Amino acid sequence: MLAFMIHRLSGIGLVAYLYLHLILLNKLRQGPEAWDSFLQIMRSPSVMASDAVLLFGILIHGLNGLRLTLIGFGTFLPWQRVLFWFSLTIAAALTILGMLAMH
Amino acid sequence: MNISRSRWVWLLQAASGAALVLLLSLHWVAQHYLASEGLRSFVDVAAYLKQPLAFTLEIAFLIVVSLHAMLGIRAILLDLNLKPEYQRALDISLWFIGIVTVLYGFQLVWQIIHL
Repeated sequence: MLAFMIHRLSGIGLVAYLYLHLILLNKLRQGPEAWDSFLQIMRSPSVMASDAVLLFGILIHGLNGLRLTLIGFGTFLPWQRVLFWFSLTIAAALTILGMLAMH
Repeated sequence: MNISRSRWVWLLQAASGAALVLLLSLHWVAQHYLASEGLRSFVDVAAYLKQPLAFTLEIAFLIVVSLHAMLGIRAILLDLNLKPEYQRALDISLWFIGIVTVLYGFQLVWQIIHL
């Protein structure tokens, strides 16, 4: 149930982010000055910190989606609970590594 | 919905998810990890998108992510046990939203490379 809820909630969050991303990219249409001044806001520490939430959401949704696909094909059925916790751990570790690499 | 159709939809969701692992990784690396301070300047964004391979990959990413998102929303809403007549309206609405999303993204990219 936890895996189901996390997958659904991360999915809804990522759909919301997709539209937010497309709206923000609209700034590019306003030309170089508008975009480059907008980048200063996006590079602020608070916005960069929110990238960690985004990265974790993408990773857990992707890894758990891979787990669900394997289970859907009838493989690793006895391991589904272990695979969920493995996905969660890998997502957390990659988020930390990803943020360290980006800063 | 019959079983074979729901199975095809599930396979499409899984296949688009697998494709997204590759396309999102490429998008993230190209747009954030290879850019100074995590984001490209206007000149860099335009130069990147003007490359035919980059343009193709970004549009493919847009199409696949929109498809995967619409199928995901559909799965969540179908769990609410909608009546069959509402399911058809839901499918039409999601097709419409998905196509509008892709067209919006496409014209955005097109305008950026032609500014």
